[in-house]
Amino acid sequence: MDGSIGILPFPLAGEGTRARTRVDHKNSDEAALVRRVQARDEMAFREIVERHQSKVFSIIYGILRNRNDAEDIAQQVFAKVYFSIKNFDFRSSLLTWIYKITVNECYDYLRKKRVRKLVYESDFSQEDARRMEASEPAVDAAVPADTRLAQRDLILKLLSKVSEEERSLILMKEVEGHSVEELAGMTGLNENTIKVKLFRTRQKLLKAAGRLTRAR
Amino acid sequence: MHREIENHIEDVLAGSEPQHMSQCEECRTEIRGMREQTALIRELRVPEGFADEPRPGFYARVMERIEAEGPISIWNLFIESAFGRRIAVASLALELLVGVYLVTSERSAEDPTIAAQESQASADQMVVAGEDAPARVLSQVDQSSAGPSSQDAVLADLVTYREQ
Repeated sequence: MDGSIGILPFPLAGEGTRARTRVDHKNSDEAALVRRVQARDEMAFREIVERHQSKVFSIIYGILRNRNDAEDIAQQVFAKVYFSIKNFDFRSSLLTWIYKITVNECYDYLRKKRVRKLVYESDFSQEDARRMEASEPAVDAAVPADTRLAQRDLILKLLSKVSEEERSLILMKEVEGHSVEELAGMTGLNENTIKVKLFRTRQKLLKAAGRLTRAR
Repeated sequence: MHREIENHIEDVLAGSEPQHMSQCEECRTEIRGMREQTALIRELRVPEGFADEPRPGFYARVMERIEAEGPISIWNLFIESAFGRRIAVASLALELLVGVYLVTSERSAEDPTIAAQESQASADQMVVAGEDAPARVLSQVDQSSAGPSSQDAVLADLVTYREQ
């Protein structure tokens, strides 16, 4: 991107992005699979589990950084999927729907434990810490591990202050690395709506951070 | 934040520096905060090279959990959530109170009935007794200053006598 943004057309009034990103989630192979699960076809459910288990596991691990909890919560996620899939309405992709359930389950877990800080202090094994140190080349090595853990703790706290939808969207954008266009396709919303929602979420997070800083 | 930045926020956060930013301190500050926050959120990314899968037999464990949990029932809401439990306890307490109230009010309602029956019986006696009945009634008044139910009975006697 260059500095020519100021002369670009006003995007909220733009028309080009609106219809382009509509994805028909009702008539895909995935939809057929979901309908089979809705009819209580266990083989179809098994296929969904096997297709998405790695993704779900890595999302949970990304948030909690604990393998045992990740496994346990992943099981819970798919149990929820099994019981709730009859309510899946094909407005978003199945993965988006599962993603939301996964993030919600992580937050339920954190809320139940009530002491998010302790998630990292007591459950974070030495092996996890070593692995984290060794496998995050993108992170500034000069920042000590405990500072990074405190930062993760802070951002998880902040993310708990926004709605489930906002949390999922910002995580799909920044953690999963999806573009606005991809998010529009995945969620069934138009690009401008996604942009507005992301902006509001970012503002809420900033305000929450400000309140948290003032409270300390 | 000003519109020219707000409308292109995702591009700006990705590194674009529109001209407005160099002139507006407010937008610069807010963007700096959002960029820091974005960097923090990206800390939640799974480490590169992370390729772990759940342990073998994951699907079987999921199915075990599903069988153990069973279908979600409306009663689970009352049992599992603290709020639901409070509602259940409050409902039981209310039910108990209403029950106690009904039982006690029924008992107190029974007393006037008995009194009315007694007064009816004494009225019958008076009809049989004839002219000296008022004197007997008055003597009853003297004797029956014991309780409100007997007073009621005497009053009922007097009324019945006048009608006769």
